[in-house]
Amino acid sequence: MRLIAFVFAMLLALPAHAQGIQQTKGSFEDKFRQLDEVLRSPNVYRNASGAPGHQYWQQQADYRITASLDEDARRLTAKATITYKNNSPDTLPWIWMQLDQNIFKKDSMSELTNTFGGPGRRGPAVSAGSGGEPSKLSLEELRRQQAMEDNSYGYDIARVSLTNGRELSHTIVGTLMRIDLPTPLRPGQSVSFNIDWAFNIVEENVIYARSGYEHFPDDPREGGNDIFLFAQWFPRLVAYSDYEGWHNKEFLGRGEFTLEFGDYDVTMTVPNDHIVSSTGVLQNPNSVLTATQRQRLSQARNADAPMFIVTPEEAEANEASNPTGTKTWRYTANKVRDFAWATSRKFAWDAQGHKQPGAENETVMAMSFYPKEGGELWSKYSTAAVVHTMKVYSRFSFDYPYPTAQSVNGPVGGMEYPMITFNGPRTNLNDDGSRTYSESEKVFLIGVVIHEIGHIYFPMTVNSDERQWTWMDEGINSFLDSVAGYEWDPDMPWGRSLPRDLIPYMVSNNQVPIMTQSDSVLNLGPNAYGKPSAAYHILRDTVIGRERFDFALREYARRWKFKRPTPEDFFRTIEEASGTDLDWFWRGWFYTTDHVDISLDSIYKLRLDTKNPDIDLARRREELASEPEKVGVRLNREQNLPIWVLENPGVTDFYDENDRFTVTPKDTKSYESFLESLDDWERRVFDRAIEEDKNYYVLSFSNKGGLVMPIILDLTFADGTSERMTIPAEIWRRNARNVSKLMVFDKGKELASVLVDPNWETADADIGNNYYPRKIMDSRIETFKRSAPSSRTGRDLMAEVLVKDEDETESEGEMQSEGSE
Amino acid sequence: MIRNLAFLIALLLAVPAAAHQQKITLSTVSHNPRTDMLEIVHRIILHDAEHALKALGKDAPDIVNDLESRRAFARYVAKRFTVKREGEPVVLTLLGTEIDGGNLVVYQEAPSPGPGVELLVNSQILMDIWFKQENRVNLGAGTEVETLVFADSGQAQYARLP
Repeated sequence: MRLIAFVFAMLLALPAHAQGIQQTKGSFEDKFRQLDEVLRSPNVYRNASGAPGHQYWQQQADYRITASLDEDARRLTAKATITYKNNSPDTLPWIWMQLDQNIFKKDSMSELTNTFGGPGRRGPAVSAGSGGEPSKLSLEELRRQQAMEDNSYGYDIARVSLTNGRELSHTIVGTLMRIDLPTPLRPGQSVSFNIDWAFNIVEENVIYARSGYEHFPDDPREGGNDIFLFAQWFPRLVAYSDYEGWHNKEFLGRGEFTLEFGDYDVTMTVPNDHIVSSTGVLQNPNSVLTATQRQRLSQARNADAPMFIVTPEEAEANEASNPTGTKTWRYTANKVRDFAWATSRKFAWDAQGHKQPGAENETVMAMSFYPKEGGELWSKYSTAAVVHTMKVYSRFSFDYPYPTAQSVNGPVGGMEYPMITFNGPRTNLNDDGSRTYSESEKVFLIGVVIHEIGHIYFPMTVNSDERQWTWMDEGINSFLDSVAGYEWDPDMPWGRSLPRDLIPYMVSNNQVPIMTQSDSVLNLGPNAYGKPSAAYHILRDTVIGRERFDFALREYARRWKFKRPTPEDFFRTIEEASGTDLDWFWRGWFYTTDHVDISLDSIYKLRLDTKNPDIDLARRREELASEPEKVGVRLNREQNLPIWVLENPGVTDFYDENDRFTVTPKDTKSYESFLESLDDWERRVFDRAIEEDKNYYVLSFSNKGGLVMPIILDLTFADGTSERMTIPAEIWRRNARNVSKLMVFDKGKELASVLVDPNWETADADIGNNYYPRKIMDSRIETFKRSAPSSRTGRDLMAEVLVKDEDETESEGEMQSEGSE
Repeated sequence: MIRNLAFLIALLLAVPAAAHQQKITLSTVSHNPRTDMLEIVHRIILHDAEHALKALGKDAPDIVNDLESRRAFARYVAKRFTVKREGEPVVLTLLGTEIDGGNLVVYQEAPSPGPGVELLVNSQILMDIWFKQENRVNLGAGTEVETLVFADSGQAQYARLP
């Protein structure tokens, strides 16, 4: 630390310059500019504090559906009566429906716009050739092409009519269908109409979808068995909102769904040895369940742990036998934005009642459905994780809003619908016929069940628009799933959503901001899941604080429960409910690709001059004495060069007796007149400051990453004590690149070292420039090499092993493809 | 005129789709001025790595608890990640692995060709196993990096080592 004398100076405050659009004068960047120009204007439907406005409305779509599965043909045939209520202030001449299955038509926009070898493609790998490299096409891609060629996928819409039988003209546009109404639907009116349709079910692992069937050719039953997952299986109303009208955005596969709430009454006819899991509550248990199953189900309502409704042994017997007919299951669901179901004769079924005293649904049936391939991994952890999720998420939002919460194992890795989720992790089949699973498969199962059940809160209940903004539900949900994960077991290897996990992504270039439409995002995982989650951890633990952040998040969830929030509503609600201006935070984290890197560049130590020549001049003398000797003078001495004054000791005068720091009467007089010139209050302030003789330091910081953040400091003093200090991000408001901060400590409290962001809570990319004085930082590899011997979850030094293993390393050819067991 | 080009069947391995596989790896390639080494750190999501191993024929892989599983995957990573300088491969020593949160971290190093040198990098990790894999490689450490994004194209890319 350099020591510099300083005097207090009076500065005139300069007016801050406003920044509209890009300026040509200077380089001022207004990182704290309020977002009003960017956000949509508040109105009577959505108010300026982020709550639903006093005239908030949303449409209602109720469905009565009968569906019938042809298991052998893998075809679903269905009829629906849909009642659409226009709660908007607008008169609607037509209605738009979503025909999501049409994404699998050969000429769909999704198929036609898949780029060859490009990024973000949904489907098997292909690679464009370049230079000497030939193009490549995988067998999976060929299999998919052949399946598309051999089968006709997408909806066959047989009829669209009013309930009185009158045909309705309709126009299919890709995954959308316009139904023209005979008379425009006025505000407050309802219309009921029928649609008859059928479609061939895609094989999930071949076509790559969010639903479909999975075939198990090795099952004991001749011809094997299937698990059927039904989602996006009926024509769904396109959302009509106050901010976008009809949401006519083609389904391209990645941007998920924007939907209306409604009540459902659905019957599904399936082979009579199937077990059906579905959105809603089973209405006819007497006709589809055995007396034993019904008795177990009612016992499970009050069970402390999951209990079987269909045991694994019963499921194994089922999957070896054949159906003798069909059964029709009837489920109803109220106030849901979607409806999904699953059916198979392979399912074991367990259940446990989760109690929510005082809630609308005081007992929620947490249930899991899985084949033998799920095994113990599922019987131990699936339903348990469903219950755990409800306990944690309800604390951050509202009581679980539905009567059931289900986890179903099938071919989909992880996907959410109201009251039902599809989750992929399974056990491994060993050569001896036993089934085991690894620790990370266990983490994956618990993690994915928490995540998907969490989605029943966001966005199934807080109904954000997934087609436009994946991050709105995935961000909050990834944040909460990490909170729930650490509350399950803090030592399990969870990952990906803390600030420190996101640094390599956030420093990389070729990024898009979080505020990017879902289908256009590059690297959806870190962009829409990890980065917003890291942002919420920072808001909660660093910027706002736990109590106020949790209050604000709960307020957002409650305000928008069963309603449709936009990004503006979220930003505004968190701001106003926490009482914190966060425009800078939303701007930096959600609208830019800046990252965090705050560097502590220098620390100057300052001391107040006393003006007293007896004190100040002596100090100056000491300072001069502490400077190193001039090199030339030293060399002269070493060379024994003669020095004139030493050779002429007889010739001296006043200046030889007194150095230039000697106090003269003039100095003393000047000090006296300075003291006299002070007003009383000035004199009191001055005397006290001299008396206290505090330590003054100026810390200079630079912002190398661009993102403005609070500066968290660990201050260590020469006496061994330390202190934590957090400077709010607003310190960057006038200069987002460089700031200096004066710090004052009592006499005797001398600063020894300072560390920025000691707990790695802000995603600071370069730890090296956080230390003052600078510290030589080991690289990750240097740290790794100095590590202790191999431990279970710790480090494994391979270098020496490799030398030994070189010859026995498997060649690529020996690594065989194994199939999907 | 339409030119005839070679077209290969790539034998991808059959892996069930898992929507919540992240399918992203992040690698850092940097010059360490104190040791004059080229340091390479790969971060791979644990369950992605495990599913890949299974597809590669390893029965019941367990990256966290079974060192053999982990080493097999590290050797696989070493094969799929290449660095060349002036047409010659830079020989990377595989140092080992570490579990860090939900990630498997794989370390490699080589004598550094020095900052400013142009490298031809190819990160094909997991791209032979499933679709939609996107690999990011940051050249440089700390705050100023050059990023290469690999997405199913199979092409190596040039970048200057900062």
